Amino acid sequence: MAKTNGPILEVDGVSMYFGGLKAVDNLSFTVNRGEIIGLIGPNGAGKTTVFNCVTQFYKTYDGGIYFHTDDASRVNLRDIKVTNVIDCGLVRTFQNVELVPDLTILDNLLIGAHNRFTTGIIQHIFRTKKAREEEKRFIEKAHEILRFLNIYALKDMYVSGQPYGILKKIEIARTLMSEPKMIILDEPAAGLNERETNELQKLIYEIREKYDVTILLIEHDMGFVMNICDRVVAINFGQFIAMDTPKMIQQNKAVQEAYLGKDD
Amino acid sequence: MADFLRLVFNGFTSGSAYALAALGIVLIWRTSRTTNFAQGLIGTLNAYVAAWFILSQGWSIWLASLAALVTAFATGIIIDTIIIRPAAKVSPISKQIITLGIIMVIIGIIPWFFGTSRYQMPRFIPLSQSIDVAGATLHLNTILTLVVTLGIMAVMFWFIQFTRWGLATRVTASDETTSKLMGVPTKTITMVSWATAAILGTLAAIIVAPRTEVHVMMLITVQVSAFFAGTLGGFTTFFGPVVGAFIIAFGRNFAMFYISDIWGNVLLYMSILVFLYFRPYGIFGKKPSKKV
Amino acid sequence: MKIIDTIMRHLKKLPALVKHHPSWTFILFGVLVSLIAFLPHIGIMRFGTMSTVYAYIIILTTVALGLNLLLGFSGLISLGTAGFVGAGALGTAVFLNMGFPLEIAVLAVLFISGLIGAVIGLFSLKVESIYLAIATLFVGEIMRQIYTNVPIFGGQELNLGDDSRNFVTFFGVWELSFFDQMHRSILFVIITAAMVLSMIIIHHIIKSRTGRALMAMSRSQHAAQAMGVSLIKYRVMAFVIATLFATFGGVLYGIYYQSVPTEQWNLDLSLFLIAMIVVGGLKSIYGTVLGVFIIHGVPNLWLKNWFGDVSYVFSGVLIIAVIIFYPRGFIHIGHDLRRAYAGLRTRMRKKVKHHGEN
Repeated sequence: MAKTNGPILEVDGVSMYFGGLKAVDNLSFTVNRGEIIGLIGPNGAGKTTVFNCVTQFYKTYDGGIYFHTDDASRVNLRDIKVTNVIDCGLVRTFQNVELVPDLTILDNLLIGAHNRFTTGIIQHIFRTKKAREEEKRFIEKAHEILRFLNIYALKDMYVSGQPYGILKKIEIARTLMSEPKMIILDEPAAGLNERETNELQKLIYEIREKYDVTILLIEHDMGFVMNICDRVVAINFGQFIAMDTPKMIQQNKAVQEAYLGKDD
Repeated sequence: MADFLRLVFNGFTSGSAYALAALGIVLIWRTSRTTNFAQGLIGTLNAYVAAWFILSQGWSIWLASLAALVTAFATGIIIDTIIIRPAAKVSPISKQIITLGIIMVIIGIIPWFFGTSRYQMPRFIPLSQSIDVAGATLHLNTILTLVVTLGIMAVMFWFIQFTRWGLATRVTASDETTSKLMGVPTKTITMVSWATAAILGTLAAIIVAPRTEVHVMMLITVQVSAFFAGTLGGFTTFFGPVVGAFIIAFGRNFAMFYISDIWGNVLLYMSILVFLYFRPYGIFGKKPSKKV
Repeated sequence: MKIIDTIMRHLKKLPALVKHHPSWTFILFGVLVSLIAFLPHIGIMRFGTMSTVYAYIIILTTVALGLNLLLGFSGLISLGTAGFVGAGALGTAVFLNMGFPLEIAVLAVLFISGLIGAVIGLFSLKVESIYLAIATLFVGEIMRQIYTNVPIFGGQELNLGDDSRNFVTFFGVWELSFFDQMHRSILFVIITAAMVLSMIIIHHIIKSRTGRALMAMSRSQHAAQAMGVSLIKYRVMAFVIATLFATFGGVLYGIYYQSVPTEQWNLDLSLFLIAMIVVGGLKSIYGTVLGVFIIHGVPNLWLKNWFGDVSYVFSGVLIIAVIIFYPRGFIHIGHDLRRAYAGLRTRMRKKVKHHGEN
């Protein structure tokens, strides 16, 4: 169960508007280190908007989002460029799998290590010893992750044409390349069959154990969320409803109301 | 004042040509999602047809132009049927290169049919017929050109905005796949668009021809200016490029006369680039929405 | 059948060789190409063919390699490439005529072009799709207007060398003139070496972090950003690399032909360059070479002799046909042929078996 260490992500009074529309409304919650947290809510509740604010794709939100890179230091993510969020140890996947179809699976993983490289284009052009060694080091790391996910045999195949379950795995593998502290998964089980969902559940546990990461996920598959999460945040119309253990959330009147008519 | 008016009158003619060509380019861009680099040469090919009827058959310019518009219509349909439709699945960039292929085919065909000499093309109304406006000469032919151009555009806008086929064109332009599913005959729309674009290009060529003679390269400036007009006005509307065309025509005339005939064009282009930096989708264009 | 089998078996090894020792295969390819320089001396080829066809193919290949990085990998289009080729050729000539040594002239021209490329890259962050394409056409047109109108570029054409004859001087001592047949062959070898160098550089870029980042950026902008790929940095880098290669190709043009026209750096050439990489194969180095050969070489070596002016029709039909039937590029024909052959062979075997059973 949850290793309740200190907080790793604090969402503090975040609001986000699109024109006149309030997508996220004064939302606050805290994720602790080592937890698996689910963010749930009916369609259009603003879940992906929250993710986009946290990962700094949207900068115009009100309120504060803070990330604890370790127990001692806390950064305001707003001060971090969208491309540097990954350097803090915060990395995400996307609702519609976003991979490079015309690169091999291995190369797609290496993109995840983009900011870890210390050599630049000039060193790559001349294939300096340092550049070669660095590339080799990351390839080995990618191999290790691919073996861990049981897709090592596919490493030299192109991404395009792979089944959906594999694509989802590749995306998760890519996040692991950046040595993250926290992974944000946008609907990881969507489009997976039951066997794949069960496998994913096991995988997420294993990832937490092996790589010592915190996981925040959006998911519509309630069974999956309730099984896997330590705590669940429920929102509706961008507003906070409840944050509790899966058991308590299921009994929460306000949450049931939000889902009423959806029969989930 | 006389200079100023002369430049304005001059701009009417070139602006009309740019606008017609630009409209053709926008039509193709919106229905086939490709930048039609062959727009100019399709027009040129049919201007050759008109010139041939006038010089070899002794037809009047009116009749010859009508014949050229008919062949233009046919050219558009042929191009769509045997080239564009089979290539419907290729990437947008490859499609653009297909239009380059069309350019080369036309460049090869022209000397085959019409020889390599340049043709003189008469005006609809001879230059001798003109009126004097505050010291500047306004040729009746210029007025005719402008009236015909604006008339054609008015008809086109009416057609696109208020008829069933126009609606079909607009929905094809905004989303071809959905349109097809909703039963819009997108194939016919695309075919008619190519035919219409060819007619517009041919009109542009006939307008420009008396100034430059009919030859293979006659529409290069018009074509490039039409692209610029589309960008300046915005490719998402049909009237934006027309406005852009006249801005470029007047702007070029003024800049080259009042500033410098060497640097005028350069300055005009640079200012449009700077403008684009602040309004990346042109004067009237809208930003397409994107989702993270 | 046996002979074909043996040939196919060796051909099958080719992709593996190319894959595992790319730099060496580029060098081997360069050595083979530079053999062309000797052919005119033993009377197999005309000097004119070497210059107008093969040398130009080498120069355009260098340019197209950069463009392929821009278009194939970064998904960005440029209709102003010809302007930069002109900048390389005319700029080198201008600096040489001002008395600078060749090496300084080349570096200066590359530097200036690179700066303009960086500006376009920054511009591309704001302006996209067809607007960006036409913005680059603006840049190309501006450059063309400057070349044809500004007196420093000599009006019609600009010659390298002095008043009496054309030549370029390497390292301040080594003078080579286009009009000397021996020199011309040496110049041919020099530009071939430059092309091979370009191939190796491009190969190293695309197989590195930079190449992957460029692809991530164009295929999925948001995922790229989430992985730390800075759009500003890589957009600018893509345009700078493409303009540097275009300019470098222009420099080679100046060095080889030593007489540079001002008119030909127009939209047509830019479009042809795009056609070359699309027809040959986006993202493929050998595809680029093949595309340049198909679009410049085939018409000039054969079609023009056979059909005269009408050869344009054949070139046009060729472009259209290749795009319709090989939308991913003609370089993939090898793959398809191998598959067709394999299919044929299994069918033959089945037939034989069938007969045996009967």
